[in-house]
Amino acid sequence: MARVVVTGVGVVTGPVTGGREHVRAFLASSGAPVVSVRSSALDGLVDETEARRLSRICQLSVAAARIALADAGLGPGAGLGLVIGAEFGDVRSTIAFVDGYLRRGPGGLSALLFPNTVMNTMAAATAIAVTARELSLTLNAPTVAGELAIARATAAVRAGRTDAVLAGGVDEFDSILAELLADGGAPSETRGEGAGFVLLESLDVAEARGARVLGEIAGASWRAIRARPYGVGRDAASRAIAAALDEAGATSGDVGRVWVSASGDGPRDRWEQAILTEALRPARPPQTALASRTGRHAGLGALAVAAAALDDASGGPALVHAVARGGTHVALVVRNRGRATHDV
Amino acid sequence: MRRIAVTGLGVVSPFGVGTKAYWNGLSAGVCAIRPVTLIETEGFRCRIAAEVPNGIGGSLRRSRADRFALAAAREALEDAGLSRVERAEAALVVGAVGGGMLEAEAWYWERYRGSRPPSRPTPRSTLPFAHAEALGNALGLEGPRETVVMACSSGAASVALAADLIADGVVATALAGGVDALTRICFMGFNALKLLCPEPCRPFDRDRRGLSIGEGAAFVVLEDLERARARGARIYATLAGHGMTTDAYHVTAPHPDGEGMVRAMATALERARLAPKAVGYANAHGTATPQNDRIEARAIREVFGPGQLLVSSTKSMIGHTMAAAGALEAVATVLALVHEVVPPTANLETPDPDVAFDCVPRVAREAPVEYAISNSFGFGGQNVTLLFGRA
Amino acid sequence: MDPKEVLDELRTILVTRLKFDQRRAADMTLETTLPKGVEGSIGLDSLDFIELSIAIEERFGIVMDESQDLTRHFLSFDTLARFITARTEAA
Repeated sequence: MARVVVTGVGVVTGPVTGGREHVRAFLASSGAPVVSVRSSALDGLVDETEARRLSRICQLSVAAARIALADAGLGPGAGLGLVIGAEFGDVRSTIAFVDGYLRRGPGGLSALLFPNTVMNTMAAATAIAVTARELSLTLNAPTVAGELAIARATAAVRAGRTDAVLAGGVDEFDSILAELLADGGAPSETRGEGAGFVLLESLDVAEARGARVLGEIAGASWRAIRARPYGVGRDAASRAIAAALDEAGATSGDVGRVWVSASGDGPRDRWEQAILTEALRPARPPQTALASRTGRHAGLGALAVAAAALDDASGGPALVHAVARGGTHVALVVRNRGRATHDV
Repeated sequence: MRRIAVTGLGVVSPFGVGTKAYWNGLSAGVCAIRPVTLIETEGFRCRIAAEVPNGIGGSLRRSRADRFALAAAREALEDAGLSRVERAEAALVVGAVGGGMLEAEAWYWERYRGSRPPSRPTPRSTLPFAHAEALGNALGLEGPRETVVMACSSGAASVALAADLIADGVVATALAGGVDALTRICFMGFNALKLLCPEPCRPFDRDRRGLSIGEGAAFVVLEDLERARARGARIYATLAGHGMTTDAYHVTAPHPDGEGMVRAMATALERARLAPKAVGYANAHGTATPQNDRIEARAIREVFGPGQLLVSSTKSMIGHTMAAAGALEAVATVLALVHEVVPPTANLETPDPDVAFDCVPRVAREAPVEYAISNSFGFGGQNVTLLFGRA
Repeated sequence: MDPKEVLDELRTILVTRLKFDQRRAADMTLETTLPKGVEGSIGLDSLDFIELSIAIEERFGIVMDESQDLTRHFLSFDTLARFITARTEAA
């Protein structure tokens, strides 16, 4: 089984766009949440044809993927895989496609928009942009899609199915979606938008090319906890945290910090606390909720993993934790650079 | 390396509910593509599809696609005879695209036309992950849960991802499959791309003019082979290998040389440690678009050699069932191994001279096959090959 | 409709449906080539051409028969304008 290291990060979010240095500066700063990505964030990251042909969410994904690859010191490469998490996909294009028909009949249908109605459109566009020719997956999940994608990608690298994977997620948020969600009785929470990727490589491959390692994903696990669809569960026993710690050769007492998925959805946030209390007790390591700065979106998984990898202050490995209404539940154990390379 | 067994099958298809109805239809070469009844088709060049007939059961409060998924998943789990405890540990991987979009569209259309909208669906019952949420809760599946969206190869990808979880030792058992109901968006989109044939589709025919859309669901139970043997489970087949690749070429068009398809098939063979000549049947992606069938036939030829295996497209009977296609075709491939019968390519009258294979025209063929592949290719150049072996 | 008028309509389609920049479209002439890979072209790919066909069918009320190879008509604005003019006059 290969050890899986993080060798690059790229994020395009409201408060921060860039690679590891930008993420580091963001973590050292503070401020109110910035939930929307400014259009200037994409300047220089998509070419003229991409700006014409790709929908905004695809552009967010392409831009973050390019930043992550550059951060990792890699060019576009044939040996690359891609795992993208998304909760909503390209809602704007889907509505525009449908409205074209409703307003003008079959002649109003757009062939260019149709592929965007399928949620793998971001993966397709990104795979073309960075020449990712191994597996390219789109995982759709409530709230925690980015963390789930990173867990799945970690398993693929660990098992040797692929040497390098861009893993993370993307979501777009706008007024139409906000209205649909509110109408549908979704819980109020701080939602944001953006894209984020980490580049995961096997330690051997990373060392052979002299990569600058940010940290290691030493354990990754995902399970469902019993809950009704879109509801929170009563059960707080986590098999994912236990499995991820076990894989990392760590115990609950070792965890130095928890990067939680809390985003202002009261019942879900309380459920997450109950799960963490039960899994880690008697320890109560400090926590950080990145959504308080960015709003919750599928790009956050990569930001949390990079933040955990860059965190030199907390002793012990970090736990990146995420749980969604309905019970999808992800645990990632991340060691920072010093610890990742310490016992090589 | 753990080997993977297929120990349960479940299907909802245009032939109705159940694996038996599905195999009866396929092996008899029946084409289930008929005039569309579910949605308005006024003004479209193509007005036919393979719809699932009435009588699927399930609560009407659930989306049509959720009802397909539940019926097929229940059949697969019961077929495998898994205990409650085994289910609670099992992984769930669902390939999906449309989610509950058919119902969301009905609401949106009515709202647009200013009439009183029917019950309002939420984004969360519309999105692809809705099926996995419904299945996990209703069937007590508390292992790893994933929804994979890979366009027309989603159903095949779900089987491949579930197999990886077993091979890696994460779980001993997994329920994997795909589901899609007909949606206006899908029907309109393929019409706009001019990829739909006004007549039932004719894969590998010289005069093929495009695809027909279908709908349905299929699930398989995958299991660690040793464990399946130990518990005395019925083993339909082994999943000997799989390959997943990306063209990274174009959003809708396949790579003109089928380069990604070739790599997917070659990877599946490599993982199974098999020589190409071991494989006797390919259940092709076979959409019946001029482009796909030509490029796929060339790719199969490059990997296996001309004429070396039987090739058929079951889409000629049930249409292209989108996210369900890869899973429905995986079940067809497994059943071909079990029954030693290769399902035919219906509507195939004049074989395309560019296709260097016996495409089993119209009538099923008795053929004891040791290994068979199922190909699925999706928009975005996403290629999946599943390789099954006789139990 | 003369080729110049058709070109104006095509420019509009390129902006509204193919999302070309307005200034970019204004620079296009009858001599401008269309397909990706051709020198000096505006870089249209297969999906752009399908979009363009739908828009032409809607705007000019003609039917593009996709069973025939239309590639030669989609080489430049000139060939396309001639094709459209011939088809609208035939209709």
